[in-house]
Amino acid sequence: MSNQSTHISTNESVLMRLTGIATPAVTSGIVVASMILMPFMLGGSWTFTLGLCFANSIGVLAVSMLVRYGGEVSIGHTFFTALGAYSVGVLDTRYGISLWASVPLALLLGVAFGIIFAWPSRNLHGIYLAVTTLALALAVPEMINNFDSVTGGYEGLYVATPLIPGASMGSQRYYVALAMLVIVCFAVSRLRLSRQGMALLLAKTHPAAADAFGTRRVWARISIMGISGGIGALCGATLAFSGSTVSPGGFTFWQAIFLLVGSVVSFYGLSLPRVLLGGAFVTLVPQLLSASGAWIPVFYGLSLLGMILLGHYMPRIRKTMSRNSEVS
Amino acid sequence: MGQMTNALRGDGISLSFGGIKVLKGLDVEFRAGEITGLIGPNGAGKTSLFNCLTGAYSPQQGTISYAGQPLNGLPPAARASKGIVRSFQHVALCPDLTVRENVMMGIARNFKAGWLSAFFPLPCGRQERAEMIRAADTALNDLGLSDVGDKFPSELPPGMQRLVEIARAVVGKPSVLMLDEPAAGLNNSETRDLTTVLRRLASSDLVMVVVEHDMDLVMSICDRIYVLNFGEFVAVGSPEDVRRNPDVIRIYLGSDDDE
Repeated sequence: MSNQSTHISTNESVLMRLTGIATPAVTSGIVVASMILMPFMLGGSWTFTLGLCFANSIGVLAVSMLVRYGGEVSIGHTFFTALGAYSVGVLDTRYGISLWASVPLALLLGVAFGIIFAWPSRNLHGIYLAVTTLALALAVPEMINNFDSVTGGYEGLYVATPLIPGASMGSQRYYVALAMLVIVCFAVSRLRLSRQGMALLLAKTHPAAADAFGTRRVWARISIMGISGGIGALCGATLAFSGSTVSPGGFTFWQAIFLLVGSVVSFYGLSLPRVLLGGAFVTLVPQLLSASGAWIPVFYGLSLLGMILLGHYMPRIRKTMSRNSEVS
Repeated sequence: MGQMTNALRGDGISLSFGGIKVLKGLDVEFRAGEITGLIGPNGAGKTSLFNCLTGAYSPQQGTISYAGQPLNGLPPAARASKGIVRSFQHVALCPDLTVRENVMMGIARNFKAGWLSAFFPLPCGRQERAEMIRAADTALNDLGLSDVGDKFPSELPPGMQRLVEIARAVVGKPSVLMLDEPAAGLNNSETRDLTTVLRRLASSDLVMVVVEHDMDLVMSICDRIYVLNFGEFVAVGSPEDVRRNPDVIRIYLGSDDDE
């Protein structure tokens, strides 16, 4: 892992020391401003794809949260994204209720099921917990199909109720996803400064020390699973709204793996630019490679390897470049 | 009498791992207003006793109490809420947190702002953080660490990391402070600084227990010393008594027969 992901930073002085130039807040501001302008420069299909990219970025963030604050890996986060997506899909198609009500419900369900999952698995760590989350991922499509009277089965659900009546639905699908991503990233950045966030980090690295100062490790595990599950559900809710359809094909085991891949590609980063990188990898790379036919898995693997190596050697490359610029 | 009441007591503490008896029915009393040393060779059971008192281990027999209140069965987090805190033999600072934030964790148990304030900039969360920062800065300042609050632990030498651990332990104004080998890995100068710090921390309402191998440090700061060997106390008394005790001399220096 590169040095750049060693610390989850707090204040400007520390951040500037680590990054050398701009703070993440400045970088995030520039990225958000560019994203706001993007629909005016790109065609409708790209705007649609970017909306999905923002939604997937939230999913990547959910997985990265579990890694950075809990020290654990999940290969089953599609369970939570499905919860969120079907909260939006079912309320929309059955009752005509918009995101104003379905997003809070999705969040609530994600947190609740994260906690419910965390309790029996509270003493599992590493590969054992990862395999347990795998069970969730494998169960999701079957569960959706078995409850087809509610979920619509293979045919899925179509999300058409606008958040703001009267506004263009195409624009809403894009900007709601962007807003959701910005809000979630902001909330996560605030967590780092909070007592709860610091306690989670201490419990991750030194559980005995956390215990000795009043933070129970069970509390830490349940809390981070609840948070990560909640963010995963928000990813699903955003996917449902931006993608307009909810069907079992969007919540397969492979989708769970792709979220983990996105998290790895972003080096488990929690800042907006980093999770956007992970989300872009999950969303855009398969699209860009779609014309490659049977070579898709090979090119996907190569691009994954390329991203990992680039991220790994980036500090060294940056150092060499700055040395060269000083010499010239 | 007040001193006797505010004591951390262990009566008949026994602990076994598998068939091996690590602690054999120990009676201890660590009094407020005193610095008590716990010494003994490697494997004597010092850290095991420490872990029993702080709740990390549950002894098979015996009772543990503080100020007359039983502590048996309480997990470490619950003991921490009663003001019983410890440092660790191996520095246990979080590398993701700055030094100041690590110290803030020592007082975090006293604050209750909710989850909403953890994710959004609400006044109660901001006030909580400001108070924690103020307390941590005071503790760092008291230990001469005011310049390193923004650094990460990995940027500090081992001696300073030990002091940061002590700052984290004392920031919450504990009633029992248990230090597990605070001088391990320190050079002579750092040990001297540590000695000064520990003397300064001692107060009439604080129970301070120090597990340590550095005899000079123990003899110079402790009011009373327990000497442990193979899970049993071989001597208890003032530094002078312990220094003259023939069993202690034999344990640490070896008997003439050994030569």
